[in-house]
Amino acid sequence: MPDFLIDLIQYTVAGALKGMLYAQVALGFIVIFRAGRILNFGQGEVVVIGGFIIYSFISLPFFPALVKSVFGNVPWWLFLIFALLVSAVIISIFGLLIERFIFRPMIGQPIFTIVMVTIGLMLLLQGLTIAIWGGGDRPFPFLFHEGAVRIGPFIFTRSLFWGGIMSLGIFGALSLLFEKTRWGLKLTAVAEDHAVSQSMGISVKRSIAIAWIISCLLSSWAAVVFLNGMTLTFAAGTIGLTALPVALLAGLESIWGAPVAGIIVGVGEALAAAYLDGYTEGAMSEAFPYLLMLVILLVRPQGLFGWKIIERV
Amino acid sequence: MALLPCGVHFRTYRGDRAYFHTKYQWACFIAFLILLFTFPLWVGIRYVAMFNVTAIYIIAVVGLQITSGYTGQTNLGQSAFMGMGAFVCASLSTNLNLPFWLTIPAGGLGAAIFGALFGIPALRIKGFYLALTTIAAQIIFPILIMALPEKLAGGAIGLQMNPARLGPITFDSDVSMYYMFMIVMVVMVYFAFNLVRTRVGRVFVAIRDNDIAAEIMGVNLFYYKTLAFFIGAFYAGVAGGLWAYHLRYVGADQFTIYMSIWFVGMIIVGGLGSILGAIFGTIFLRILQELIMYVGPLLVNFFPNMGDAQMWYASMNIVLGGVIILFLIYEPHGLAHRWNIVKTNYRVWPFPYL
Repeated sequence: MPDFLIDLIQYTVAGALKGMLYAQVALGFIVIFRAGRILNFGQGEVVVIGGFIIYSFISLPFFPALVKSVFGNVPWWLFLIFALLVSAVIISIFGLLIERFIFRPMIGQPIFTIVMVTIGLMLLLQGLTIAIWGGGDRPFPFLFHEGAVRIGPFIFTRSLFWGGIMSLGIFGALSLLFEKTRWGLKLTAVAEDHAVSQSMGISVKRSIAIAWIISCLLSSWAAVVFLNGMTLTFAAGTIGLTALPVALLAGLESIWGAPVAGIIVGVGEALAAAYLDGYTEGAMSEAFPYLLMLVILLVRPQGLFGWKIIERV
Repeated sequence: MALLPCGVHFRTYRGDRAYFHTKYQWACFIAFLILLFTFPLWVGIRYVAMFNVTAIYIIAVVGLQITSGYTGQTNLGQSAFMGMGAFVCASLSTNLNLPFWLTIPAGGLGAAIFGALFGIPALRIKGFYLALTTIAAQIIFPILIMALPEKLAGGAIGLQMNPARLGPITFDSDVSMYYMFMIVMVVMVYFAFNLVRTRVGRVFVAIRDNDIAAEIMGVNLFYYKTLAFFIGAFYAGVAGGLWAYHLRYVGADQFTIYMSIWFVGMIIVGGLGSILGAIFGTIFLRILQELIMYVGPLLVNFFPNMGDAQMWYASMNIVLGGVIILFLIYEPHGLAHRWNIVKTNYRVWPFPYL
C-alpha cells in the first residue's frame, strides 16, 4: 500500500474513533433533550464531574483503604469494577439531585429560561468542581492499559479503540431500551409530548429523572474513555462544546444519529487537522465542528435524523 | 401599570401616556438626576471608578434587554457586539484621529451591522438554536479580529489609543470620564424607555409573545427581528466605544462569552421586559462582583488547596451560576417586579390592597 493511502486510512479511522467518543457525549445531550426538551449546555461539566468522582474512588487513598479493611486484598480488576459501581451510584444520585432541584421547576417554562438555567448550571458546576477538588492538575488513572493498539500498519490509542468498540454496544443497548422495552417507550412518548403522555398515565417527572440518570452515567463513561491516563482538570469540560455540533447534526431526538454524526465530525476534524492545518495555523480543525454546526443550523435545523416539529399558533 | 397616585385623572391621551403624572414625580426625578451628576462629589474616587464600569455595562445590558427581554430573541453574543464597537471606535480613533463624538456612534453602527448579520438567522431558527448561533458570533469575533490587518485591528497585540478630547477638556481621569459616560448613559436609557412605547416597541413585544401570531397580524418578521438585533447591538457598540476610551486599550480577549453570560444574568436578575429592570440587575450583579473581589482573597485562607486566581474564578462562577438559577426558579420576574410591588404597597398603605 502506498504511504499516502496508509496515512489517509490511519487519519480516517482515528478520526472515526474520536467521533465515537463525541457521539457518546452527544448521547448525553440527546437523552436529556428527548425527555425534557432541555438542551443542557452544562453537559461538558457533567462529564468532568463524572471523571472527578471516578478519580476520587480509584486514585484517592480513602476508598482503596476502605475496600482493603472490609474485604482484605482483592485483585485490581475486582477493585476496579467495585469502584466503578460505587461511582455509578454516586453519579446517579448527582443526576437525580440536579433534576429534582433545578430542572423540575422548569417543566413548562419558556425556552429562554431553560437555556439560561442550563448555562447557570454550567457555571455552577465549574465553580463547584474547583471548590471541591481544587484547581490543580491531577493524573486520571489508566483504566485501559497504556500503549497503542497495532493492526497491520495502523496504530490507534488503546482507550479510544476499545472505548469506540464498546460504545457501539452502548448505542445498541440504548436503542433497544428506547424502542423495545415498555420503560423506554414511555420515555419516547414523553419526548413527543409532555401533556399527552401525562394524560396517558405516564409520569413526566419520573421519565425526566430517569433520563438524567442515564445521561450522567453515559457522560461518566465517556469521561473514562476520554481522560484515560490524561490530566484531569475542570478545563476538560470543553469536550461538551465539541460534542454539541455532533448532537445537532444527528438531530436532538435520534439515538442512532449520534454515532453517524460523530463519525462525520470526527473524521472531518481529523482530516482537517492532517491536511488543512498546515495552511491555517491549526485553526481549521478547531473551527470545523462549529462551522459545520452553523451550516446545519441554517440549512436543516432539525439535524439529519431529528423530528421536524410543525409549530402551530 | 403601576397604580397611580390618588386624584390623578386624564383629559388627553397625551397625559395618559406620560411617564410622570405628578409634580412630585418630576421633583423626585430631577433630584435623582442632580444626585447622579454630583455623585463624584459625595463618594471616594474608587467608587467613581466602579460606577464608570457599571455605566458601560448598563448601556450594553439595556441593549440586550431590547433584543432578549422585549423581542424574546436569545442573545449570548452581546459582548462580541460590544467588542466590535470597541474595535471600530479604537481603529477610527488611532488611524484617522477622529474625535470621540464621531467614533462612538460609528462604533455603535459597526456593532449594529455585525449584530444584525447574526440576527438574520433568527427568522428561521429559534430558542436553543438561536442561542447557539449567537455563541458562534462570540467564537468568530476573535478569529475575525486576528485575521484583519494589524494596523486596522491590532492583531494579537491590541490597539492603544489616546484619551477622548473635547476642546480644552481631556477625559483621562475617572471623574471626567464619569461625566462623559453618564451623559451617554442617560441619553441611551432615555431612548430605550421611549423606544419600547412606540409602534416598534409594541411590535417587539408581539414577536416575543408569539412570533407566528405576530406575522399573521401583518408584522414583517424578518425586518423586525433583524431590527431588534440591530438596535441591541448598537447599544453594545456604544458601550464598547466607551469601554475603549475607558481602558484606552482594546484586545480581542477582553470580550469573552463569559461577559455575555454576565449580561444575560443581569437582565434575568433585573427582570425580563423592563428597562428599569436592566438597570437594577446590572447594579445588583456589579455589587456582587465587587464583593467577590473583596471577599475572595479573604476566603483563600479557608481553602488551602486553591490559589488566588482559582478562588476568584470558582467564586465568580458559583455566584453567577447560583444567582441565575435561583432567580429563574424563585423570582423569574426579577427585581423590577419586586420594585413595582414595593411601589404599589407604598401607595395603598395602610391598606393591604385596593
